Amino acid sequence: MTLLSVRDLRVSFPRPTGGRVEVVRGITFDLGRERLGIVGESGSGKSMTGRALMGLIAPPGRVAAARMDFDGTDLTGLTPAGWRALRGARMSMVLQDPKFSLNPVMRVGDQIGEALAFHARLSARNRRARVLETLAAVRIDDPERVYRLYPHEISGGMGQRVMIAMMVILEPALLIADEPTSALDVSVREQVLEIMDDLVRRRGMGLMLISHDLNMVARWCDRILVMFDGRVVEEIAAGRLHDATHPYTRGLIASLPRMDETRAELPVLDRAALARGA
Amino acid sequence: MIEVRDLSVRYGPALVLDGVSFSVAEGESFALVGESGSGKSTILKALAGQVADWSGRMALSGQDVGRQSRRDLAALMQMVFQDPYGSLHPRRTVDDALAEPLAIHGIGDRDARVLAMLDAVGLARRFRFRLPHQLSGGQRQRVAIARALMLSPRVLLLDEPTSALDVSVQAEILNLLKRLRAEKGLTFLLVTHDLTVVSFLCDRLGVLRAGRLEEISDVALLRAGRLQSAYGRELVARSHGGRPTEAPARP
Repeated sequence: MTLLSVRDLRVSFPRPTGGRVEVVRGITFDLGRERLGIVGESGSGKSMTGRALMGLIAPPGRVAAARMDFDGTDLTGLTPAGWRALRGARMSMVLQDPKFSLNPVMRVGDQIGEALAFHARLSARNRRARVLETLAAVRIDDPERVYRLYPHEISGGMGQRVMIAMMVILEPALLIADEPTSALDVSVREQVLEIMDDLVRRRGMGLMLISHDLNMVARWCDRILVMFDGRVVEEIAAGRLHDATHPYTRGLIASLPRMDETRAELPVLDRAALARGA
Repeated sequence: MIEVRDLSVRYGPALVLDGVSFSVAEGESFALVGESGSGKSTILKALAGQVADWSGRMALSGQDVGRQSRRDLAALMQMVFQDPYGSLHPRRTVDDALAEPLAIHGIGDRDARVLAMLDAVGLARRFRFRLPHQLSGGQRQRVAIARALMLSPRVLLLDEPTSALDVSVQAEILNLLKRLRAEKGLTFLLVTHDLTVVSFLCDRLGVLRAGRLEEISDVALLRAGRLQSAYGRELVARSHGGRPTEAPARP
């Protein structure tokens, strides 16, 4: 079943010298209740794609698409009120660094409950119970204690779990995670991904995992879109990443050092040639 | 070249490093790996004289650290940090950053030296008068490496030098570091959480956990997946955990 259907999505910003620069240049894809990875390097347009789908590109940025349908809703031409009704409830987004996405002067539990207060009619007591339940679902051992903490009192890994709790409390159909683990220590990355994966599977959500990390995306997704220079250059099943044919994807894979590295030099991408080919 | 014996560091009541000993030979590349909080960056800070409360013995090129003047220390050893945006002065041009160590140490012929260094790190000469925000992440890291090499030090301390960079840019910077080490006979002490970087760039590695060295091994053992300590093997397993189940393509 298709959850999200995107045709010819474009995102542009004005150039200081006049005219506009397109950072997403006509991408097309469908997303079902599956885990879709979007990989690319800085400037490939991967984050802008995620933000456009959440209605988070503010003027003077401009989003255009031939079609952008989400679960029966036409996202092109949605009003700000329409977006607010959607975001947090039916689609939500986990960002890179919990330090910057949590409100520093609000208790963690109250922040998670905010989405509930906005989207659902629940008594304060029921709201609290739901928050505690969700904290437990992201494997926080002592939800009662964590509920009362402020963001500066929790670690990065726990902060990211709090973010995930906030994003899934209303059981959205689609979760967009933009570099959800890049700001975290390696030792807790795995755990955060596991929690997210588990929630996505159990609740039958669609997941869009945006990252620069090929290996991570290959491991946690079913399908991968590789972006370069605002376009999708390759779409491939995660397990068949080593069969990638596009020179950019192959270049990226080759440029990663390996555990049993014996090459004297790592191959480097020829950006000029890629830009000509793209 | 670097000699560390029984190094312990306290931050207040917390024991951050607990009797760490290792030595790095001249021209060798040695890695310190471990998770956040294992104390790996603290070792670099201690060597660079940025830690007040330490005990044990640290020597560079046969001389006790702390006995040397900061000036001599700077001429012998330099550091490259993870985030080149944070480590470069936002309102100083590339030229300022590279010429400043020369001015401090009273070294002449600055023009020629700056240009030669730009060439050495593969940065086009037209970038000489740019500011950090006008450069890409990879270019900035090249500037940081160039700055560290201006005084022709013999030791480079590298603190996660590529983890803020894109994959393809990481490859460029790793190649650059490897080439510079060979050309200039540099000694590297590298701190990283990425074992594949160690495999590419280093000869030996020390595995740190909670302020203690669990093992020191040859990189050959890492490549073969035969680290001695259980914790070392766990780190390797975890790195593999982040990789696809099937091996990536061989070019």
